[in-house]
Amino acid sequence: MNRITRLVLQRLGSLLATLVIMSFIIFMLVEIMPGDVAQMILGQSATEEAVAALREARGLNDPVLQRYVRWVGALATGDLGESIYMQGVAINSILWRRVGHSLVLALAAFILFVPLSIFLGVLAGVKEKKPTDSVISFFGLATMALPEFVSGVILITVFAVTLDWFPIVSVIPIGETLFGNLDILVLPALSITFVMFGYVSRMQRSSMISVMNSDYVRAAILKGMPRRYVIFRHALKNALLPTITIIGMNMGWLFGGLVVVETLFGFPGMGSLLMTAIKTRDVPLIEACVLLITVIYSLSTMVTDIMYSYLNPRIRYQGGQR
Amino acid sequence: MNDNILDIENLHVKFKTFDGLFSAVRNVSLSIGYDESIGIIGESGCGKSTLSFSIMHYLAQNASVEGSIRFKGEDLLLKSEREMEKYRGDRIAMVFQNPYSSLNPALTIGFQLDEVGMHHQKLNKKEAREATIAALRLMNLGDPKSIARRYPHQVSGGIQQRICIAMAILCKPDLMILDEPTTALDVTTEAVILDSIKDLREKLKMSLMYISHDMGVINKVAEHVVVMYNGEIVERGPKQQIFEHPLHPYTRALINCMPRGSVVKEKTKLNTIDGYVKMRGAEETGCPFADRCDKRTDTCELSYGIREVSDRHWAACDRAYATDIPDSTAVKLIPKKREDVHGPLQPKELLKIDGLQKIYGNRRKVHAVNGIDFSVQSGSVIGIVGESGCGKSTTGHMVSGLHVPTEGRILFDGTDITVGWRKRSKETLKNIQLIFQNPGRSLNPSHTVEQIIARPMKRLAHIDDRGKRRTMIIDMLKKVDLGKEYLSKKPRQLSGGEQQRVAIARALSISPELIVCDEPTSALDVSVQASVLNLLNDLQVETQVAYMFISHDLNVINYLSDHIMVMYAGKICEYGKRDEVMAPPFHPYTEALLSAVPEVDPTKQRTAIALGGQLPDPTKKPKGCPFAGRCHRQVGEICAREYPPMVRISDTHYYHCHIDPTDA
Repeated sequence: MNRITRLVLQRLGSLLATLVIMSFIIFMLVEIMPGDVAQMILGQSATEEAVAALREARGLNDPVLQRYVRWVGALATGDLGESIYMQGVAINSILWRRVGHSLVLALAAFILFVPLSIFLGVLAGVKEKKPTDSVISFFGLATMALPEFVSGVILITVFAVTLDWFPIVSVIPIGETLFGNLDILVLPALSITFVMFGYVSRMQRSSMISVMNSDYVRAAILKGMPRRYVIFRHALKNALLPTITIIGMNMGWLFGGLVVVETLFGFPGMGSLLMTAIKTRDVPLIEACVLLITVIYSLSTMVTDIMYSYLNPRIRYQGGQR
Repeated sequence: MNDNILDIENLHVKFKTFDGLFSAVRNVSLSIGYDESIGIIGESGCGKSTLSFSIMHYLAQNASVEGSIRFKGEDLLLKSEREMEKYRGDRIAMVFQNPYSSLNPALTIGFQLDEVGMHHQKLNKKEAREATIAALRLMNLGDPKSIARRYPHQVSGGIQQRICIAMAILCKPDLMILDEPTTALDVTTEAVILDSIKDLREKLKMSLMYISHDMGVINKVAEHVVVMYNGEIVERGPKQQIFEHPLHPYTRALINCMPRGSVVKEKTKLNTIDGYVKMRGAEETGCPFADRCDKRTDTCELSYGIREVSDRHWAACDRAYATDIPDSTAVKLIPKKREDVHGPLQPKELLKIDGLQKIYGNRRKVHAVNGIDFSVQSGSVIGIVGESGCGKSTTGHMVSGLHVPTEGRILFDGTDITVGWRKRSKETLKNIQLIFQNPGRSLNPSHTVEQIIARPMKRLAHIDDRGKRRTMIIDMLKKVDLGKEYLSKKPRQLSGGEQQRVAIARALSISPELIVCDEPTSALDVSVQASVLNLLNDLQVETQVAYMFISHDLNVINYLSDHIMVMYAGKICEYGKRDEVMAPPFHPYTEALLSAVPEVDPTKQRTAIALGGQLPDPTKKPKGCPFAGRCHRQVGEICAREYPPMVRISDTHYYHCHIDPTDA
């Protein structure tokens, strides 16, 4: 069997195991959260009898394990349950639209920050200790030090309030779709870029420096290869490996964990949905969101590993010295 | 007027660091003629590599260079980076010490060779590949087409280095610089590479600059020898003269401190050079070797300076044979002998190995050690020798408990210790200690020397009194020739030799009965190696500890061992007392190993038995003799079919071979 195929199958297997374990942990965590679901649905003024009746009707009095199995069983058939706060609306009908929005935002941010950070990181690494490097490294550090709610506010003040180029909040007017309102993506994406740029470009810079100091780059230079050629053909492919790992590790966060940015801009994505669910103690919705984020995290780690082994022939082909 | 390809005049290279300005190369003048081969020799830190990188105009940013380097009349130091690209790889090519890291892991071998032809000779892809294949073929690499398609990690170290050399000769350069190209390789591989370099010179008529710390290697490839010490040339001249009648005390000491064939521990101590190469400030003047020289007088610096002593033989000092100071070699050269200290040995079987096997990996099984039996007598030294991958280190690791054997038994002093170190008793752990190859990496960098030595005392010997421990540690340091002031130093403040001394002190501090020494001197300079070997020998005689001494260097093994075990592909080829193994009849593999060791004496050049082929595939369990595929004395097809029987030469000496012992 091909090594990559085997790797994919292996990782899918472990993804499944992760999901089973995570679903259990999530279920138990929500279980020990204070507050009674039935009470929450019916409100503070409900009578004891009504609460007890609802508990019975919803099966809330059953043993924990039985309820867990029921929940997982429903999940397996694609039924995520019903939202409590939104009075019995199927989660499937809310969640997936939000996920789509989040994916588009993540993609927009990705297209913005990945080429930018890699390019500037390589540039800084090649010009180590020169003014170009100092400027890039300073910006990397400065943006890294700013939390996204600060940089977001600055972006809003400059581009939305003062210059009026983009809308202040990133909401989609009722009845319209995201694709008719693509300009609302710019400021949140920029704000994500601010967060990611520092990490990625610094990683790229340091891996570029270490590759440029490696024996094989020295050997390539002393073979008489032009500098630009050495950088792009010999150094870059090796220097990208650690950066890919870092980007991959942040992909999960990018898709599912943009709680702060989405809340700040009012963007209708996964992050703000999770925020609402937590604020309203909407247990089934929390469970569904967190589980989905787990899936996204695991998948992005898997894709990273596969990319990594594709770029690294020492992993792609078995055998060898080390 | 000029018939030299390279003229270096008054070259100075200085490095600016936080601690000030240091001089790496000082006032070096040197010429290489057309089709001439010069060898540059010296310990590490003597500026050999800096010199070669100066020729390539490739130095760190903090370097400042003065003088001139004229290549075919043009001063390379005045060239811009862009102009240098036309020389590098085309007219001047370089081969480095570590082939593994000098090849780009992410690109195929073919790509890395093709690009040289494509850039310098403007070949198209197809022509470049043809040139690549031709160059690989010139290096005697079988099936060059498939090699070109592979990645560097898919071929062995010896082949990697031959690929690097093929890369260097692609454009038929006028000058090839080789910077310790065989130091990281096995002797047998080294012999093959040295042969092919000789071959290439005849075919391509190029000049050669060969850098090495190994006199034997230089002897094989160079016509002229340049001896460098601390950035200066201290002596240069025709090889014969330098080797037979060195004038500079450093040259003489360097030649003498190499262990070689006839030197064994009972008869002589190895020559050493005290101290180490110090960084030299830019302002310092005078003889750089003065602080380590045993021929030093108060007035000798007055006459210091490089001058032509006899025809084409230059030296900075000619006191190598000065008689006003007696040879230190003559005074302190008698080593301690066991009989002087303890009386004749009462042998006891300390370690017994029975059918030991180690298989690594689950799916792809690697047979590292393939069923070996041997024993170690208390108070004796067993030397285990073989090429890398023969299972010698794995054997050592199993004895010390770092690896658990797959099969077989290890008996130590009668008790079964065939388990990992976690399951061994403290008593056993105390009695078997380890010394590793690289002291810089095996000592904890954040501990002081005192903490390093104290740890096993606390953990294994239960010496809980701090004051008592300290006196013992100071005693121990004195035994390894280190002073009290080392107690609070950290490993990075020590030189390589000092670090290895600390490692030895740590191992000996709890009086073990057996020390597994895994290539303890391979990472050290020859002069330091000599002093560490002397020390190991003295300590062994004094404490009667047994050594399992693992090395790839037959000269070192020969010097220190009582018994020698030659291993190949996880099997024992030959075992016996030192003098029995080192004299005929030999196992063909032992014979090949012995012939591959470069000879220091220029009058006694021998031709190495070229071992073709590769180590057998360790993932397959071999059927016949593991050495059959490379053996120069195969008897017939029986070799590949049946594992050879044990041939007993004497009670203590045997080997495994199909050759009839009466023919051998």
